Amino acid sequence: MRYAFYIGCTIPVKALKYEISTRSLTGSLGIELIDIPEFSCCGYPVRSMDFFTSLVMSARNLAIAEKKGLDIIGICTGCMAILSEAKEYLEDPIIRNKVNKKLKALGIKEYTGSVKVKHLARFLYEDYGFDRLRERIIKPLNSLEFGVHYGCHYMKPTSAYGHFDDPSNPATLDELINLTGATTIDYPNKNLCCGFTIMGHAEELGLRLAAEKLECLSNIGVDAMALACPSCCIAYENNQKVVGKRTGKEFDLPVLYFTQIVGLSIGLEEEKLGFEFNRIKVDRIAKKLARD
Amino acid sequence: MYNYLLDKERLRYCYQCGKCSSGCDVNRLDGSFQPHRLLHLISIGAIDKVLKSADIWKCTTCFTCSERCPQGIRVTDILWNMRAMAVKSGHIPELLVHQREVLLKAGRLYSVGPIDNKKRGKAGLNAIPEEHPVIAKIFEISEVED
Ligand code: SF4
Ligand code: SF4
Repeated sequence: MRYAFYIGCTIPVKALKYEISTRSLTGSLGIELIDIPEFSCCGYPVRSMDFFTSLVMSARNLAIAEKKGLDIIGICTGCMAILSEAKEYLEDPIIRNKVNKKLKALGIKEYTGSVKVKHLARFLYEDYGFDRLRERIIKPLNSLEFGVHYGCHYMKPTSAYGHFDDPSNPATLDELINLTGATTIDYPNKNLCCGFTIMGHAEELGLRLAAEKLECLSNIGVDAMALACPSCCIAYENNQKVVGKRTGKEFDLPVLYFTQIVGLSIGLEEEKLGFEFNRIKVDRIAKKLARD
Repeated sequence: MYNYLLDKERLRYCYQCGKCSSGCDVNRLDGSFQPHRLLHLISIGAIDKVLKSADIWKCTTCFTCSERCPQGIRVTDILWNMRAMAVKSGHIPELLVHQREVLLKAGRLYSVGPIDNKKRGKAGLNAIPEEHPVIAKIFEISEVED
């Protein structure tokens, strides 16, 4: 099981706990993630500058993986959506030919469309298999309750993702967390966007979006939010204090990556899961687990 | 290319039902932001109005409107292209100027310096390159139509 690891721009700088826990988890499960230094930005920010340039950037990344004969696994939902949607646009021969001309100028033979792109959570669900993962769980997290935040780009656009999860009633991440023995709840604004992408352009609107979900989950009283995207984590965890201040609320809601949660359940130590980088203290969770 | 893309994104099939706007959470918080109105303006040729408007920068790119549209219109992508067209016509938000600079220099959205790599090293992670020259080349060759 060897895959090209698409790490993206945000994770290696702003989400070390996600990277650390992903490397520990996949290493322990026998999923070999190969670092590809030639990979660049996926193209997301470039789509607001020039769509065609963004497509060339995405296609270059895809073609590099193709040349190495590796499918792509990533952990940023934004990157996965952009690469997957680029794949969809590149099915059009007119666009693909135009893009391939540019790739030639970059010294890359061509993009053929053969490479597969998957988020690690989806990969665990569809390829690794939950039955196999279940066998690895030695420390069930029965006492924990999570509110799962999928992130818009986890399953949308559905056409680019082969309709693998339902945006109005997503289930795959919940099932993954449930596998660890933890409970997940359904809550009113589960499908709400984190607001991260507009925090720079329309700050107030972005912060208000983040506040709505933080407030809902805080009122319900879950142990933590569980998520699968570094941008969503910045919105809900790094910005939690700012969001609170601006909206006149006080939040204290831990935010965990699904890789940290699954990692705990298969018995990996906290240090190997990057918990030292969690900004909202996870002491209560640790205490609960110690009692189990 | 842009006309080709707008056609591919099915702009002309919009019948102004408003389903995109009624499912949009940004619209719920800021009623003046109405994706269906923006699409209408584009269709009647008032694209300049759209490009100058702060509204196109309020979209989170959540894709909810595209998923809801009964006509299969890629609403999100159309609005996204409006941003790029706005940038081309000189309406560039501050943040984008900065992002472009960092992208050209570092090859990534966030610059990486020795401090970042030191922090990574302490956490047991490998160092990542501080520069990625290919990005500038991609911009250079892609932004010209041929
Ligand atoms: S939902 Fe589709 S058809 Fe209806 S107004 Fe929006 S873009 Fe037009
Ligand atoms: S993609 Fe933009 S316009 Fe569409 S629903 Fe989301 S925020 Fe609204």
